[in-house]
Amino acid sequence: MNCQELARMGNQLRRDIIEMIYRSKDGHPAPSLSCADIVACLYFGVMNVDPKDPHWEDRDRFVLSKGHACPALYAALGQKGYFSRDLYPALRHIDSILQGHPDMKKTPGVDMTSGSLGNGLAAATGMALAAKLQGKSYKTYVLTGDGELGEGINWEAAQTAAKYKLDNLTLIVDNNGMQSGGSVENVGGVINIPGKFAAFGFEVKEIDGHDVKQIMDALTSLHPGKPLCVVAHTVKGKGVSYMEHNNAWHKGTPNDEQYRTAVNELEAMING
Amino acid sequence: MAEISSTRTAFVEALTELIEKDDKVVMVSADSVAVFRATGLQKQYPGRIVECGIAEGSAVMISAGLASAGMKPFVCAYAGFLTMRAVEQMRTFVAYPHLNVKFFGANAGMCSGEREGVTHQFFEDVGIMRAVPGFTVLAPYDAEDTKAMVYKAYETDGPVYCRIGSGRDPVVGGGFVKREYGSDALIIGCGAPLADAMEAADVLKDEGINATVLGVNVIKPLDEDALLPYIEKAKKVITIEDHNIYGGLGSAVCEIAGRKVTRLGLQDVYPESGTAQELKVKYHIAAEDVIKAVKA
Repeated sequence: MNCQELARMGNQLRRDIIEMIYRSKDGHPAPSLSCADIVACLYFGVMNVDPKDPHWEDRDRFVLSKGHACPALYAALGQKGYFSRDLYPALRHIDSILQGHPDMKKTPGVDMTSGSLGNGLAAATGMALAAKLQGKSYKTYVLTGDGELGEGINWEAAQTAAKYKLDNLTLIVDNNGMQSGGSVENVGGVINIPGKFAAFGFEVKEIDGHDVKQIMDALTSLHPGKPLCVVAHTVKGKGVSYMEHNNAWHKGTPNDEQYRTAVNELEAMING
Repeated sequence: MAEISSTRTAFVEALTELIEKDDKVVMVSADSVAVFRATGLQKQYPGRIVECGIAEGSAVMISAGLASAGMKPFVCAYAGFLTMRAVEQMRTFVAYPHLNVKFFGANAGMCSGEREGVTHQFFEDVGIMRAVPGFTVLAPYDAEDTKAMVYKAYETDGPVYCRIGSGRDPVVGGGFVKREYGSDALIIGCGAPLADAMEAADVLKDEGINATVLGVNVIKPLDEDALLPYIEKAKKVITIEDHNIYGGLGSAVCEIAGRKVTRLGLQDVYPESGTAQELKVKYHIAAEDVIKAVKA
């Protein structure tokens, strides 16, 4: 896909996120919307995967560490053809393959169970290390939130990833500046994310996480001998006017009128 | 006093054999190479040890990632640092997705910690791991049995936790029936305390009290069919373990011996998303399940 098509896909994922949460009546819209462009670039511009063979052992891997943003991942997997988009309304419902947080055994295309914050980077480090140990060329991508960097296990894993020179590992931080209880700076005191990862031995890039050209350039750049950290500046709730910068939409379900507004705004961008 | 051998050395001997025969097997260390007597292994096969430093949670997550990509990690750490600090990672990222990761916890039991004190005496590990759905929980009798348990862990599909000792561990000897003098008392034990149980049975026999001693090295799943006939026959049942009385082998034996008790609750499975009402019906903790249990 070219950049224009990727940008459209980012908005299409947003449209699917809203549809999923509105129909199922539960989920986390704003954290899903902030990472939609990054997830679109990964699945439609960067990663080598095969929806017909989700367990293909040479596939690129993706770990959604901020598992509560799974509507974005499910939207990408649905658009990619891992499963029917007709399943969207079953999000978080009993007997559904679309669990409240990602389940690698239930959902085709999910490479790692997640949802307990802070753990994704360490899992991805293991996946990248497995590629090195087995002489495989696949790449591993992990998307974390910024708030969850408060969990110490991230820094344990960062040390190991740098020690093993995992240049097949890319961490993307969805740096929307907000966590469940408010601003990341005030609640958890997570500051200077680029400086911290640089100090831990990562190659670091800072980008606009809604500019697909910048996302693609960062994700396809080479970083020999080092893992890469892409700090993506994003807007929580991006793409739906009343959700942007409004932490009340960390979790929630749009009512009928809010749903129509969101759909109108997103479809205008998709068709524009 | 029983003869002494090392469960740690035995572990490394068996792991080295596995590393030589299967190129997917790796040792994952939280600065555990020296503790596990694995410096020789490290010299011989440096590429087969993933060293994560003093960081148990990350070591478990890295192992989950390794296993998801086809490797067979054996995580080595102190029993308590592993099962208390990293139990969430063991539960949510290994057992819930049923990944093939094996855990070996050293210094399990009060006697393994010895003079280190409570910070290094770990007597809750079996209770903690037994409570996590999907785990097989092993407690070898002694060094020789540790080798067998390493192979059992390797051959078991999915997560396994195995407790081992200090490296100065009494020789207990193999076999399920350790002593069979009679049914005056039944002593069921695991690990090193079996040596004391056997000694006690010998002393009691001389006094005319005939006891039977059984050794359990697979605490979960417990072999009910093997244990129940002995339990039913015995005048009294005693369990012994170097572990808290809550949650360990003693609790596990009570769970099968107390036949009047029907335990409604989650049956060692992982549930799913759903409403509270849907979940309690599907996982059998609703009023109708109580009625069914009472009428059964």
